[in-house]
Amino acid sequence: MAVVMALALGRNYGLGILRLLEENSNLVLSEGTIYPILNRLRQDAIVDSTWVESELGHPRRYYVLTSKGRERAIEMANTWLQLAAGLERLARPVVGRKEDNHDGSH
Amino acid sequence: MTGPTNQYLAELRTALSGMTIAEREEVVEEIRTHIQERATQPGMPIEEVLRRLGPAAELARDYNNGALLRRASRSRSPWFLLRATYHWAWTGIHGLVIFFLALIGYFTGAAFIILAFLKPLFPENIGFWIGPDGAVFGMPASRHGATELLGPWFTQVAILIGIGFLIATTIAVRALLPKLKRSHRLARGTPETAARIA
Repeated sequence: MAVVMALALGRNYGLGILRLLEENSNLVLSEGTIYPILNRLRQDAIVDSTWVESELGHPRRYYVLTSKGRERAIEMANTWLQLAAGLERLARPVVGRKEDNHDGSH
Repeated sequence: MTGPTNQYLAELRTALSGMTIAEREEVVEEIRTHIQERATQPGMPIEEVLRRLGPAAELARDYNNGALLRRASRSRSPWFLLRATYHWAWTGIHGLVIFFLALIGYFTGAAFIILAFLKPLFPENIGFWIGPDGAVFGMPASRHGATELLGPWFTQVAILIGIGFLIATTIAVRALLPKLKRSHRLARGTPETAARIA
């Protein structure tokens, strides 16, 4: 899901996606994990890939979401937001109660 | 390219299977560029870059698992599906359940077909028997007081049931494979990385 979300922000390459996830979501992935995932997403026509020359002198394989991939990304984002909202409703009273107990102890 | 990098890429190339030569070379090239670019970071020796990628055999296994699953999703061969599900049985509970489903389904189907071919050889012993001990499709322990119902039709009926089991098992395994695909998409690595990522 995180890989699809990262590509929803724009085309990117393997190491670029790893860096983006680390910087924006604190998700630190095993580096070897991402390439087989990108390969499967490509086989499932969720992403497409092209080789582009980089400024470092070697080509990079860039991935971009296909129209099917963009639909999947929206679907995933909606599911995640609904799940997160539900969990937040459950979690908020727990934090509130803990703070109440903390205030009452003084 | 350094010695360790070349060795890593050679191991990866050898371990990758189930893909065309062009696909394999593209994978190797992508990993090569990853290593090159990571190694340009300050304080990132090549050994650390390779350690972060994980063993070449493990990386190849992740690619091969995906390729095997894709081939299995398209296959109608009971033998191939059984081999593929056996492979997946070692990857988690979903894989194990699908493997046992495939094993039981194909074994039962094969048993009916074998019985169909044994009927002409043992016409007096094999059949669909109803007796004091209940119903037996095959060879009863005792035929005393039992009646055989199908007669010469036993072979055709047994073949039909056997083929039915093989087809139903194939359909069920192929329908369950996408669940396996989803469950496989878990990150491996350190505990903090255990996030569902695709």
